[in-house]
Amino acid sequence: MDLPAGTRNYTYAQDMAIFRTKTHWAMLIALLVILFTAPLYWGNYWLGVANLIGITIIAATGLNILTGYCGQLSIGHAGFIAVGAYTSAVLTNRLDLPFLVGLICAGLTAGLIGMIFGIPSLRVKGFYLAISTIAAQFIIIWVISHWSGVTGGYTGISVPPASIGGITFISQSSQFYLIMVITAVVIFLAKNLARTRAGRAFVAIRDNDLAAEVMGINLFRYKLLAFFIGCFLAGIAGSLLAHWVGFMSVEHFSIADSILYIGMIIIGGLGTTVGPIFGVIFIRLLQQGITFIAPLLEGTFDLPAGFTTGIGPMVFGLAIILFLILEPRGLAHRWQLFKASYRLWPFSY
Amino acid sequence: MAELLQFVLTGVTVGMVYALIALGFVLVWKSSGVANLALGQLVLISSWFSYGMLVQAGLPLWLGFILVIIFALILGWVIERFILRPLIAQPILSLITVTLGMAFFIEGAVSFIWPKSVAALPRLFPQDPIRIGTAVVSQEYLWAAAISLLLFGLLSVYFKYHKMGIAMRATADDQMAVQACGIPVTKIFSRSWMLACVLAAVGGVLMSSIGGITFGLVHTGLKAFSVVILGGLDSFLGAIIAGPIIGLAETVGGGYLTPLTWPGVREVIPFIIIIIVMFLKPYGLFGERRIERI
Repeated sequence: MDLPAGTRNYTYAQDMAIFRTKTHWAMLIALLVILFTAPLYWGNYWLGVANLIGITIIAATGLNILTGYCGQLSIGHAGFIAVGAYTSAVLTNRLDLPFLVGLICAGLTAGLIGMIFGIPSLRVKGFYLAISTIAAQFIIIWVISHWSGVTGGYTGISVPPASIGGITFISQSSQFYLIMVITAVVIFLAKNLARTRAGRAFVAIRDNDLAAEVMGINLFRYKLLAFFIGCFLAGIAGSLLAHWVGFMSVEHFSIADSILYIGMIIIGGLGTTVGPIFGVIFIRLLQQGITFIAPLLEGTFDLPAGFTTGIGPMVFGLAIILFLILEPRGLAHRWQLFKASYRLWPFSY
Repeated sequence: MAELLQFVLTGVTVGMVYALIALGFVLVWKSSGVANLALGQLVLISSWFSYGMLVQAGLPLWLGFILVIIFALILGWVIERFILRPLIAQPILSLITVTLGMAFFIEGAVSFIWPKSVAALPRLFPQDPIRIGTAVVSQEYLWAAAISLLLFGLLSVYFKYHKMGIAMRATADDQMAVQACGIPVTKIFSRSWMLACVLAAVGGVLMSSIGGITFGLVHTGLKAFSVVILGGLDSFLGAIIAGPIIGLAETVGGGYLTPLTWPGVREVIPFIIIIIVMFLKPYGLFGERRIERI
């Protein structure tokens, strides 16, 4: 980690610290204070947007562990989120189990399903894996939409609001606290996971899986672990989504969403902890902007009727392409550059 | 029995069209190592373009088709020149995801320009059904299969005798050696994308003359992926053989499994085949097993 001039590490604990200087701590506390007092001065609409962003950050962090750190491309992430959402919905709606049980089971089920579809990753990679995860997405959605006895099929399933120990999270602001706490915990764990043995093994596998195996990394174990963790977080996000929306149907989990998740982590920056956060905020705010501005433009300039539906995918596709060509390391890299120049300011080096 | 014969005939003929589209994938993969996940969207946009030419602009059939082919050539050139060329020598992850971005963009463009969800092309082939034994098959299927076979033939002649075709095969074999021989590799990439787009366009027109233009055409592209996975990513022969197999599995499996399972099983059969192939024989029937060095 780059440190301000004059700050030196004298112990290993200092070297390992995520928040090293007093300024870091002050900024962290300021961020948390602003975040957790947000419901006081944000309207319900923006709290809803923030909730969606929080849920998406959890899912994108999972995908980032799988794709960004371990290098296993998954284009079926929305399918795994669907598994989590429906597990939680079925457990709490049909079996009347508490929310926390549903949340944990959602993560575990999604993780297990992810591991099953991750087994081909032991023999193939790259395009083959991408296709098998696309296949996973279609098979999962097909099963969910036809197993109507359990999942409600095309008509969908209603989900009771989340409640923990007597507190029911119904309003946007109460759900905001629930989602933000879980998001913060997930980000913290993801940051630390990257620095453990498993995280380093993931990076080794991403950079060259053959070399990693020769160095003594058990590919079977770590690739499946990456799939499990990535899909576990997808399941958690799915469960939160189900309880937040209150009603689940398969339209929430299309292949386009899976591609959008990939786009988010690419725009944010693969293999960094802040990457998914930046990417998710970028894409979700872009979506908000487009839903706001597209009808206005269409009305003002008398554009053809397809403009409003077509402009969204076009902008996202273009964003993914441009980021890959112009800034493949994503917004996280820009953030690094900004921090470095901020530290040295007003000198150039 | 008549039912089975019917399933077999439609399956094999539709499978030929899948194989045609899949060939476009194999072509790009072999020459430049790019996995084109926007295959279905290429099929979609060229079908809509042919709708625009034949129905909206009301052009005669022959002129419309020439324009569709020209459009596909330009599309392929633009994709290679402006999207893939800046990414030469990037990791495979970027090469796959950039085609996903492309897929998104094309889908958006299609719903921008043609906001309808369903349309039909004018009749391209005679309509009266043909009786083969006890089965009744509509002529469109047979025409589609015949055109696909014709294109397979033309392509294999092209690869065998044309200078560019030979250069493309050489690039697939060893990119470095080809470059050392003075063959412009980027030109080969560009040609293979243009050819792939033309194949997708022909496949799209054939598919939409059978089933109309819908968003389901994107799924045709996805089925082409199961064709290449089953046949092996780098094998032309594999694609041609696996195409009818997938088509067959789809119609026969769909026909007999629907009463036993849930409706719509036909749509997921190609994906189930993908998963089975991944577990048993990940490099497909004719694919070359990759041997890696550190």
